Amino acid sequence: MNKLVEKRTVDMQIIGDWVEPGSRVLDLGCGRGVLLEYLQQTKAVQGLGVDMDFRKILGCVRRGVTAYQGDMEAFMRAFPDRFFDRVICSRTVQELSDPAAVILEALRVARSVTVGFVNHGYWENRLDACLRGRKPRNPVYTTEWFESRPANPVTIADFERFCAAKGVSVARRALLRGDWHTPCRFRPNLLAGYALYDLTK
Amino acid sequence: MNDAEEDSPNKPQEPGEVGLVEPRDFVHAQPFRFESGQVLPGFTLRYETYGRLSAARDNAVLICHALSGDHHCAGIRSLKDPKPGWWNNFIGPGKAVDTNRFFVLCANVLGGCQGSSGPSSADPATGRPFGMSFPFVTIRDMVRAQKLLCDHLGVASLAAVIGGSMGGMQVLQWGIEYPEFVRRMIPMATTARENAQAIAFNEVGRQAIMQDPEWDNGGYEKGGGPRVGLAIARMMAHITYLSDESMDEKFGRRRTATGGASYTFDVQFEVESYLRHQGESFINRFDANSYLYITRALDHFDLTAAYGSLEKAFAPVKAVALCVAFTSDWLFPPAQNRAIVQALLRAGKRASYAQLDTHLGHDSFLLESEDLYALVRGFLDVPASP
Repeated sequence: MNKLVEKRTVDMQIIGDWVEPGSRVLDLGCGRGVLLEYLQQTKAVQGLGVDMDFRKILGCVRRGVTAYQGDMEAFMRAFPDRFFDRVICSRTVQELSDPAAVILEALRVARSVTVGFVNHGYWENRLDACLRGRKPRNPVYTTEWFESRPANPVTIADFERFCAAKGVSVARRALLRGDWHTPCRFRPNLLAGYALYDLTK
Repeated sequence: MNDAEEDSPNKPQEPGEVGLVEPRDFVHAQPFRFESGQVLPGFTLRYETYGRLSAARDNAVLICHALSGDHHCAGIRSLKDPKPGWWNNFIGPGKAVDTNRFFVLCANVLGGCQGSSGPSSADPATGRPFGMSFPFVTIRDMVRAQKLLCDHLGVASLAAVIGGSMGGMQVLQWGIEYPEFVRRMIPMATTARENAQAIAFNEVGRQAIMQDPEWDNGGYEKGGGPRVGLAIARMMAHITYLSDESMDEKFGRRRTATGGASYTFDVQFEVESYLRHQGESFINRFDANSYLYITRALDHFDLTAAYGSLEKAFAPVKAVALCVAFTSDWLFPPAQNRAIVQALLRAGKRASYAQLDTHLGHDSFLLESEDLYALVRGFLDVPASP
């Protein structure tokens, strides 16, 4: 449990380092607004979250985080180009039915797009599939397949290919080892457990 | 203030209830210019308050009522009449709008017929009801009159303005008209302008009234008037407040006890009996001319047209907003509520949007919902300043 909390915090700290103080930040799949609350407190951002679920919006409102209940793609279409400084997509892309459309739309409404995801190419996740023949289960993916929402097993290599194919520039990367803390400089698709990208168009 | 509580402290009270309340009249004895340019030498607003105004005079919450509502939104009027105010489930000690914390205020709208000045009030010049000579009323006129009441009561600022449907329109207008005075806005089940469908329903209601010979160009005497037309208007409007699913659940195709022979046009279905009852009870409490005036105010409300765009309309807003819509509301559906929030956000304001999955139609905002209570309580608990 503590390990999980720590992992979440690492993610938040790196995103916090990338976010400019006072900037206008849109968090897609904002959950209960924990990340935005942190960014509001540490970076004085003008935060806005989007989520499909009423309980998540309720959590945001209780935290004093502005939030919108609805579909993120339809929501972004209501905004002009570059309306936001940054869009954050933290542990969301793997669940999208059309990730490319969301990321490209995010790159239209914001200067920068931060994407964070668990690397399914990480060797432990590969072992789950190869040796055990099972869906990965770990402190982050705690559920059985039948308890989970559909999720794409995206890898770092997949994501890099996507960026190259769509002409998306990677301004920064944070590739972290299995502890989600130590930077991973060698064969990240095999050895990094978590990846954060800072994208621009 | 709860007058009754002060006057008779020994009266039994349910815990968590506002208890006995008494309406009051605010008489504004100076000329009031309506948006139309017409002027009244003065006006009256009937209102109720619950809770106490704080020493800083900044804990007031204004409740705005819908078309057929009134100032009696919580508590009971007498021990003999157990029917509480229309939003009693929402307002009271320890409830979503907590009267232990907030000084809650609700006034019958200008143009109404529950004690505030409207077409059924006596014209001082003739001693007879104004009828059609009452000035045209807009949502903005209603709001400006409420502001005069707030000033009269010594309210320094409003912690929140809350309302559903037409009440939600007033909430939006409040945030635009008096940005320094309003810290939070909670519009629910509302719109920044009615679509053709909503105007169409209002027009059918108005025609039912105006085609009734008893309407007499609005010149009917108090107590008389187009009772048939008004009842039909209400029956039709009431359908728009419900949903197919909720009506099916409540009535289905059930027959009334008296049933009626098959080949007649007497009341046969429960839904018919229900609507007739709705119509009947409405004509005993509502004035037909007020119905015309207020539905016209609804139709004319158009923030986009009034300010050039919705973003321009919301440009002055300083309040934090929480907009709530209901999935089964087809009168002011979620999309129209989302448009309000999106425009507020584009204008750089802080506005949240939540949607409750109900099947009860437009009137859902009045229903008991722990989710709604939690949302509103949570929103009111967080400091409004950025």
